[in-house]
Amino acid sequence: MKAIMIIYNQALTEKVEYMLEKMAIRGFTRWPLVMGTGTTDGEPRMGTHTWPEMNSATLIILNDDLVDEVLEKVKKMDAINHEVGIRAFVWSVEKTV
Amino acid sequence: MSIYGSAVKNPVTTIMLFVAVIVFGIYSLIKLPIDFYPEMEFPAIMVFTSYTGANASDVEKNISEPLESTLNTVSDLKQVTSTSRDNVSIVTLEFEYGTNLDGAANDVRDALSMVTSFLPEGAADPIVFKFSTSMMPILFYAVTADESYAGIESELEEKVVNPLNRIDGIGSISLLGVPAREVGINIDPRRMEAYNFTIEQIGAILAAENLNMPSGNIEMGEMNYPLRIQGEFSESDQIRNIVLGNFEGRTIRLKDVATVHDSIRKMSLDARVNGMPGISMMIQKQSGANTVKIARDVRKQLAELQKTLPSDVRIMKIFDTSDFITDSINNLSETLLFAFIFVVLVVIFFLGRWRATFIIILTIPISLISAFIYLKVSHNTINIISLSALSIAIGMVVDDAIVVLENISKHIERGSTPRESAIYATNEVWLAVIASTLTIVAVFFPMTMASGMTGVMFKQLGWIVTITISASAVAAITLTPMLSSKLLVLQSKVKTPGRFSHDRLILPLLNRLDDFYVRTLKWCLHHKRVVIIGVSLIFLISVLLAVVFVKSEFMPQADQGQISAEIELQAGIRVDETVKIARKIDAFIEKNIPEKDLVSTSSGSDDNAGFTALFQNSGSNIINVTIALVKVSERERSVFEIADELRNYLATIPEIVKYNVLTGDGGMAATTNTVDVEIYGYDFNQTTAVANEVAEKLKKIDGARDIQISREKSKPELRITLDQDKMSQNGLNTSMVSNMIRNRVVGLTASQFRESGNEYDIVVRFDENFRNSITDIENIAIPTASGLVRLGEIGKVDEFWSPPNVERKRRERLVTVSTVPYKVPLGEMANRIKAEISGMDVPSGVLMDVGGAYEDLTESFADLGILLLVSLILVYIVMASQFESFKMPLIIMASIPFAFTGVILALLITNSPLSIIAALGGVMLVGIVVKNAIVLIDFTNLMRDRDYELDEAITRAGRSRLRPVLMTTATTILGMLPLALSTGEGSEIWKPMGISVIGGLTFSTAVTLVIVPVIYRIVVRRAESRKHKETEELDFMEA
Repeated sequence: MKAIMIIYNQALTEKVEYMLEKMAIRGFTRWPLVMGTGTTDGEPRMGTHTWPEMNSATLIILNDDLVDEVLEKVKKMDAINHEVGIRAFVWSVEKTV
Repeated sequence: MSIYGSAVKNPVTTIMLFVAVIVFGIYSLIKLPIDFYPEMEFPAIMVFTSYTGANASDVEKNISEPLESTLNTVSDLKQVTSTSRDNVSIVTLEFEYGTNLDGAANDVRDALSMVTSFLPEGAADPIVFKFSTSMMPILFYAVTADESYAGIESELEEKVVNPLNRIDGIGSISLLGVPAREVGINIDPRRMEAYNFTIEQIGAILAAENLNMPSGNIEMGEMNYPLRIQGEFSESDQIRNIVLGNFEGRTIRLKDVATVHDSIRKMSLDARVNGMPGISMMIQKQSGANTVKIARDVRKQLAELQKTLPSDVRIMKIFDTSDFITDSINNLSETLLFAFIFVVLVVIFFLGRWRATFIIILTIPISLISAFIYLKVSHNTINIISLSALSIAIGMVVDDAIVVLENISKHIERGSTPRESAIYATNEVWLAVIASTLTIVAVFFPMTMASGMTGVMFKQLGWIVTITISASAVAAITLTPMLSSKLLVLQSKVKTPGRFSHDRLILPLLNRLDDFYVRTLKWCLHHKRVVIIGVSLIFLISVLLAVVFVKSEFMPQADQGQISAEIELQAGIRVDETVKIARKIDAFIEKNIPEKDLVSTSSGSDDNAGFTALFQNSGSNIINVTIALVKVSERERSVFEIADELRNYLATIPEIVKYNVLTGDGGMAATTNTVDVEIYGYDFNQTTAVANEVAEKLKKIDGARDIQISREKSKPELRITLDQDKMSQNGLNTSMVSNMIRNRVVGLTASQFRESGNEYDIVVRFDENFRNSITDIENIAIPTASGLVRLGEIGKVDEFWSPPNVERKRRERLVTVSTVPYKVPLGEMANRIKAEISGMDVPSGVLMDVGGAYEDLTESFADLGILLLVSLILVYIVMASQFESFKMPLIIMASIPFAFTGVILALLITNSPLSIIAALGGVMLVGIVVKNAIVLIDFTNLMRDRDYELDEAITRAGRSRLRPVLMTTATTILGMLPLALSTGEGSEIWKPMGISVIGGLTFSTAVTLVIVPVIYRIVVRRAESRKHKETEELDFMEA
């Protein structure tokens, strides 16, 4: 079991949703508005007048075998336009109830 | 969910909502009446009382004075003025602006009901009416006839007036100068006295005989018969044989003491149309009715009705206000269309994409149409103010949509789907859109609260711009994203642009412009001092130019193609003499004014003293000439030049004492620029002398033209002074005697002769041969208990001179000496006059005061000044909260003075005076100009926050915002251009606004692009060095 946190420009919401649907990933947790900026590059997403754009975050928990496929899709999405920005972070889920 | 999110996700609902707005708007547009100006309720009520046969002083004493003192108690009253002239008293009550006139009218009626019973018997009941522009006649026709002239009244009443009255919206139709039928009983006083009769007795007998009376019922067999006595005269000939009584055993009939004439009443008015004897027909509309529609209906009906009239009766149009309205409105609509085309071209030029342009342009009709809904709901009309407001708005309503669309296409280009781009891109800018809308609203909304005359004009403008701009903001954050999500697609960049495509032709041009601007900006940032000093100098010079060269005026005068002249001859002159002069003037016009369409001349006065007295002066010595000219496009000379020619001619006729030539319909255009010297005092001789002296002094003042004294020249009158002792010995009093004399001279209306449904007065009076000399008057016999007394025995008849009109203000008699300043500002003229008359020796009891239209002018400009101040404060408030800073708004507002510089330069170049309308253009500029600076500053702040170095931030912002600034400015300027260039009917009125906005905006935009970044740099640099020091103290992070 892995947790993948996908953080992306909210303009990519529909694409992310489409991906989850196509991969039949049902469970997710989403924060529709989150702020942040990239470690190396990328415009800050602060929802302010200066940086008006905002990010969304979607957390999905899934079996290990699906992780690579998700990351690959995310990478493709990022390749469309680097400026828009989407990142995915994976970590292990130790226990669930 | 957010409003734009919902709009994008429910496109059908969004479209339907806007379709609903459009449907409502078009429905309103169809139903809206058309008029020239917005309806204005001048807060005044007039009380009109006619007292036939009385001279001005009598009217003053018996009617005006009692009315004034009673009406003075009405609440909210500003001032009472009255004019008493022969036969008529007009008391004008001016109220404070904002008074509910309906309530006030009721108060006035209540007050009148208390005083009416104290008015003289011969006085008609006072008529109360509110003055409004809808009172002005909308159509004026002349009717001429040859053989049918004598019987024309009933012909017209039956066949024209009554059918026309059925047209929806007609207020009233009045015929002027109608030859009225009257049964005149001209008494030979010698015979009457010999038979021991009096006029009163004869009158009573006539009234008693001319009677139908039901007298009960009779039951006969099975039937019940009502009994009726039929005594009414069936033909006027019967009257002659009425038995008056017996004298020494003989039956005396009316024909023994009098002659009976059934004919036309003696007229003291000679009305001619194009030289033919004529009657004028005046048509007024109901308040709020559609002038243009009524005029159209009347024209159509008249064409039909004409066929039913005798063939020699011709009906001709003297003036039709709807012509001018229709032409002006068409002209302005055309202007609007051109503005629309220009705006489309500008958007296409800058964006270069058809779909984007379509989305943006769509906001224009939607926001403009919402203005029609407002007009309909608030019972307004389509008029030149509302239409010019629309042409002002047309360039501004696209701005919001442009901002939104730009951001959306940026997102689409970055690869987002149009749907998402639409939502999120709108999310990013909607606040900015609303803030910039607010600055415009901040300027225009205060106008809705303006009061007074200026208020009437500006209220609509304020509302319309506020509403259209708000509507455009709403459309920009709903319709624009929705349409973008459906219509915009990602354009493939690989496609090679065509030879004549936007990318090849216009883009390089715009890029070069960007580069040029950035270079200029860099130079300016390095030469701050030069720039600041330079532009300050320009501003100072323009202020100097303004003070020295720019003339001010109240309202621009429009060429309405109509001249009206009031010509006054020697007072007391016989109508026949007046008519001779009138013929001479007619001949001159015929020969020298080929531009005339119709000439209507009336000489003398209609002794019925009707409503016309409100619109025209009349008297046996007055000639009124109205000339309707052909259309502006069909003649070379302007109405002003033609009027001047007429003036020059009138000046050469020695018999003419005074003349006044006006170029307009006497409505709004009559607000001329005069300075008045008001002279108060009871004694006619004293005040007239002072007035003459003042007039002499005014003639010496430079630039004082058209000096007029309001009191007309005295005219001779016969005054009867009664001896109290002798009267009381005979058991008489003044009222009895004056009534009896009145009955003998003016006549006693004994009864009415009825024929085919019409009633004609039966008037008993002395034959004219027995009332045309002083001796005749002295010989009038007054019946008393002890026999007849001659007037000469109880009083004497003297010749006096009396003024034909008595004006009063604040319940005191008043004479006004007025002058029109020529090439001198009104205020300056007022000061010169004050200086000139201050040294005058004025008799005690006489008071002088300087006032007049110059008060209105200063008041209006003061109103505008306050308006400007309120706008500035509101704009500051909006900006300060937008930027969360006290300083930023000041930087932005630095661009405002240059807008005024631009206005002044534009006025100078086009040689136009500064009128209220041009000044209004100046006020509007505040909002438009500031908007440019906001865009610039906002983006510079953004760049600063994104950590660009100060100079870099400024130049980056400049490069990025140059196009949006130029684009919005260009749409506004080009939207106004047709307004400034129009030459057709009525264009004189709105042209100055176009000129001042274009001038101000062009100049200020050029200056703003340079001066605002420079000031920004100076202010921000200082603030930052201060901030830097503060942060040093807080630096706990350092080791």
